[in-house]
Amino acid sequence: MTNVIDYVPGDTLLHRLNPVTKLALAAAIIAATLLADTYPLLLALLALTFALAAYAGVPGRLARLLKLVVPLGVVMFVFQLLFTRTGDVVWGFVTTDGLLTGPKVCLRLMGVALPLVLMLMVTRLTDLANACVEVLRVPYRYAFTFTTALRFVPVFSQEMSAIMEAQTARGVEYDTRNPIRKLQLMLPLCVPLLVSSVGRTEATALAAEQRGFYLRTRESSYRRYPLVARDWAVLALCVALVALGVVL
Amino acid sequence: MTSTSPIIRLDDVSFAYGASATPALDHVSLGIAPGEFVGVIGPSGAGKSTLAAVMSGAIPHHYRGQLFGAALVDGRDTCEVTLTDISRVVGSINQDIDAQMVASVVEDELLFGLENFGVPHDQIPGRLADALETVGIADLREREIATLSGGQKQKVAIAAMLALRPRVLVLDEPTAALDPVSSSTVFETLRALNRDAGITVVVIEQKVALLCEHCDRIVVMDRGRVAFDGTPRTVFSHGRELRALGVDSPRVARISNSLDEHGVIRPGTPCLSVAETRDLVADLVRGRAAASEKNAQPRTPAKPRPARPADPVVSFRDVSFAYPGSRATVEHLTFDARPGEVVGVVGQNGAGKTTLTKLLNGLLKPASGEVLVAGLDTRETPTSRLAAHVSTLFQNPDRQLCKDTVLDEVAFGLELTGVGAPRARERARSVAERFGLPLDAAPFSLSRGQRQMVALASVVVMEPEVVLLDEPTSGLDYRECMTVMETVREMAEKGCAVVMVCHDMEVVSDFAERVVVMADGRILGQGPADQVFADAGLMARADVEAPQVVRLAAELVRDVSPAFAGASQVSDIVDTVEGMLT
Repeated sequence: MTNVIDYVPGDTLLHRLNPVTKLALAAAIIAATLLADTYPLLLALLALTFALAAYAGVPGRLARLLKLVVPLGVVMFVFQLLFTRTGDVVWGFVTTDGLLTGPKVCLRLMGVALPLVLMLMVTRLTDLANACVEVLRVPYRYAFTFTTALRFVPVFSQEMSAIMEAQTARGVEYDTRNPIRKLQLMLPLCVPLLVSSVGRTEATALAAEQRGFYLRTRESSYRRYPLVARDWAVLALCVALVALGVVL
Repeated sequence: MTSTSPIIRLDDVSFAYGASATPALDHVSLGIAPGEFVGVIGPSGAGKSTLAAVMSGAIPHHYRGQLFGAALVDGRDTCEVTLTDISRVVGSINQDIDAQMVASVVEDELLFGLENFGVPHDQIPGRLADALETVGIADLREREIATLSGGQKQKVAIAAMLALRPRVLVLDEPTAALDPVSSSTVFETLRALNRDAGITVVVIEQKVALLCEHCDRIVVMDRGRVAFDGTPRTVFSHGRELRALGVDSPRVARISNSLDEHGVIRPGTPCLSVAETRDLVADLVRGRAAASEKNAQPRTPAKPRPARPADPVVSFRDVSFAYPGSRATVEHLTFDARPGEVVGVVGQNGAGKTTLTKLLNGLLKPASGEVLVAGLDTRETPTSRLAAHVSTLFQNPDRQLCKDTVLDEVAFGLELTGVGAPRARERARSVAERFGLPLDAAPFSLSRGQRQMVALASVVVMEPEVVLLDEPTSGLDYRECMTVMETVREMAEKGCAVVMVCHDMEVVSDFAERVVVMADGRILGQGPADQVFADAGLMARADVEAPQVVRLAAELVRDVSPAFAGASQVSDIVDTVEGMLT
């Protein structure tokens, strides 16, 4: 079972960038997407995200994420149609303004979700945490909490599917085709999942402490994360991207 | 400090969790000398994990409770030094291996401790490589931890500790989730560290045969106290007392203890390995060779097998299945299970046993071939409907439990199959009472063993035609294990077909009439249990180690007398030896 945000090893420039630079790049694309107001730029930014993914060798995985994001985008589109009451009425509740702004909302959603995920795919979590501590001076305990939470996502989703299998085998109808019924059946499972996750985090905290967690300082990391020329170049590009978003 | 003074010393230690009145440890005094390899065993709730937590400093620094007495690590009271400083001496590995991991890549997992403890950066690459090399996982360095097997993860955890060069390793049931081959490798790794690097090892373990093979000393815990403490030989000479506590003895020790009880051999020296037992029996019988030839009669089969005219209730016909996007497959599975029959499925991890169970209870549908359960084709029947005919007992009971009280939990499955609530609760009540379970307690507040009993009660109450057991005995102590298996046997006697996936070959040979051997997604062989286990070639191809008694019988047949052929139980060997001596 592969998870969407698993690290995909590689040796591309994108992989070799400082994790902080990658974070900045994702943030810049997101900021530009939020600021942009024209279709060409929104599409260009989305294309940039996919171009970067293709370069880093992970386009397939990113595309798989579309399966999750596109339905969300469609829902947003419908809401936009519902709530935009200006412009000429085309049909029923649909107005021309709604049709004009709806797709933008949909594109923005994709433009915000994908860059962050792409960045996580090409960065080891440990590197991300260490670089944030070294470069951004984030306290290590926050960086550790964040990466541990991310690391537990697939662990918990596996646990959830194991629980659902066990319940199906007992006769609970998780194999129903009705999604609302399925959701209703899933809610009671939060209890076993919560019980196991609280136990897990406790044990992880103990394990980390027994391996010297409290001794860790900003200088502890064996790998160093200096910002080199290519990082500065990409950071300059980030500023340009945001500026582009403001202008267009 | 001289080498004889203990590296860990417990002086009259008592501990109770939270404000609990019942102590988890009750006046324990114990010393661990540098260089020792100590195994700790005992029934559930005996205080083994608590003992490990005291040794590693997690008590008093992590778990809250009342601690009396003194625990000294390297001469310093654990109450007076920080957990971090205790960790410089004692490396500890807990039961839940996934929770132990702090990184997503093997290399980073090892770096974490090295970086934190301020190991000079020029020494880090060497230490890292050494630790990986010592444990034998240098090839896993760049791997994602999530993609490793249980045994590999366990080795990563050991390597991560080893890199910190602790003087003591404390491990809490490191092999609980592992198959026999991985379990042995973990113990061989520990033994090598102990012998070559002089690291003191304290390991909590339920697998008695492993303890016997590797430990210098065994501590038996019972209700918070030390019941026995000594070499494996002295400890296992108390077989009868151990059994009363709920601790198993290796089968070979049971044979020699039984011979001792019958007055055949001198008391007090139990055998610990197959080779020892073979030599013992050979010595006993030698000189009476003439007599033995005369008295050696072919043994009558231990378990009489009544003819089973009934039609199979489970039937796999040339079943194949492949997971999408994965190399894992099962191919051409064909086997039957009839009412009243216990079928054991054995094989290494990755042999396809779990896939077989999921095909049986309908969680997976065959890609080709067909699976018939109680006359229903699993491809045409929803899994939730099959549940009325097949009940599964999962390895981890916690995934099965979802209700607030034991009674609701046990009744839940019945209600799902359409039995009315009053009737369901009535049946649930009678079953839960038979198991001695507290009806109104919350399942999650019970101990691991009791949670397994709740899950088992939920299976029994269904009165299914087929019971499917996935590692029914893992995580249970000997007594709980026997309760589970006796219940399963009773269900079989009432006409239920039992299919059991199990790593514990002793359990399989005790309870299964037929055995299916799997490897690489295929069935290599199947047949009556003693015949399958006696087929050394088949066992070798499947990489399965036959039960001790079967291996012993094979060696005795070769070296001593053909009268031992087909022996599969302790009593078979003992009776045969006695028969030869009289």
